[in-house]
Amino acid sequence: MEDKELFQKYRETGDVSVRNEIVEKYLYIASVLAKKFVGRGVEYDDLYQVAALALIKGVERFDESKGLQFSTFITPTITGEIKNYFRDRSRLVHLPRRVSELRVNLKRASDEIFSETGKNPTAKELAFRLGVTEEEIVRAAEAGGVVSLDKPVEDNEDGMSYYDVIPSERDDMELLENRDAVQSAVRVLTAEEREIVRCRFTLELSQAETARRMNVSQMYVSRMERKILNKLKERLQKNSD
Amino acid sequence: MKDILALGIGLNREILTTVRLTTGGVCSLVGLDMEESEDCKVCVTESLLLLMHSGFRAARLSFAESEGVCIKIEGDDYAAPEENYPDDEISSALLSALAGDVNMQRRDGRLTAIEFRFAKNGR
Repeated sequence: MEDKELFQKYRETGDVSVRNEIVEKYLYIASVLAKKFVGRGVEYDDLYQVAALALIKGVERFDESKGLQFSTFITPTITGEIKNYFRDRSRLVHLPRRVSELRVNLKRASDEIFSETGKNPTAKELAFRLGVTEEEIVRAAEAGGVVSLDKPVEDNEDGMSYYDVIPSERDDMELLENRDAVQSAVRVLTAEEREIVRCRFTLELSQAETARRMNVSQMYVSRMERKILNKLKERLQKNSD
Repeated sequence: MKDILALGIGLNREILTTVRLTTGGVCSLVGLDMEESEDCKVCVTESLLLLMHSGFRAARLSFAESEGVCIKIEGDDYAAPEENYPDDEISSALLSALAGDVNMQRRDGRLTAIEFRFAKNGR
């Protein structure tokens, strides 16, 4: 059955087995795209899972009557989901730790290969031994070593450590004051406005996702957002005067 | 727009890692963040593969700074196109999804050059 017919059949019947047939036919795109994003601190299997889920969502949303090829439609959809996943994960993924671990393994693997062959290994040999790409090997080799925060600062006669001299980017007292001011300003918002703030800034949903959740248009969310921000700005201004 | 770097390379898979590393260096120079740099590297690789599949045996890359980086990759030393690659359509869609102002130049239906742009902080 042709793609168009498959999509039409799925729209008409809602038959999950038809949807699965479409998904299976296009799973290779999920695999191809997941591979393109490997090497950024997330395993291929996780990326493949994200891509496959995006593919299923894409099948639900695709409108075959618009004349677009499904593969052209689904590629940006999957890419967008993968990038969102990286954004969400970026708070958890510690690239420097990954690099520093790789540096440790690099040293061990280098020593092993040298003792086996009597020669210094190439990046390709190290990549093969450690199961990573050559690029990761080169990048890890380029990265500087880890410096302890307790290490004394050079040229400093007071014996101060990096921990003592690196300024904090956070001012906890200011954060507390800001939080208090925002909480008080939010009280002037209606229930619907508060829900938009929660979706957009606490749950970090996009305007489109917020609109879907609240059963309104994206344009409406956008307008409301501007209105809310103005309202909050006015309130905060009034409080600070 | 300020020219940063121009490269001429033979198009083979072994050179891709070197080009990716060079691209990473340029991205760092113009101030792109890690994620934008990684996306930029993917786009450079995909462009080179597309040109390789179009039948080019070499390519010229030019990197210029303009609130981010503008990259132009042109095919050079045309031979015969490789066999049909179904994934090329995915590569093109991926380029459009990741980069801005993607422009694919064709001559007689054949892809000859690709230009795209990465702006700082996605602007």
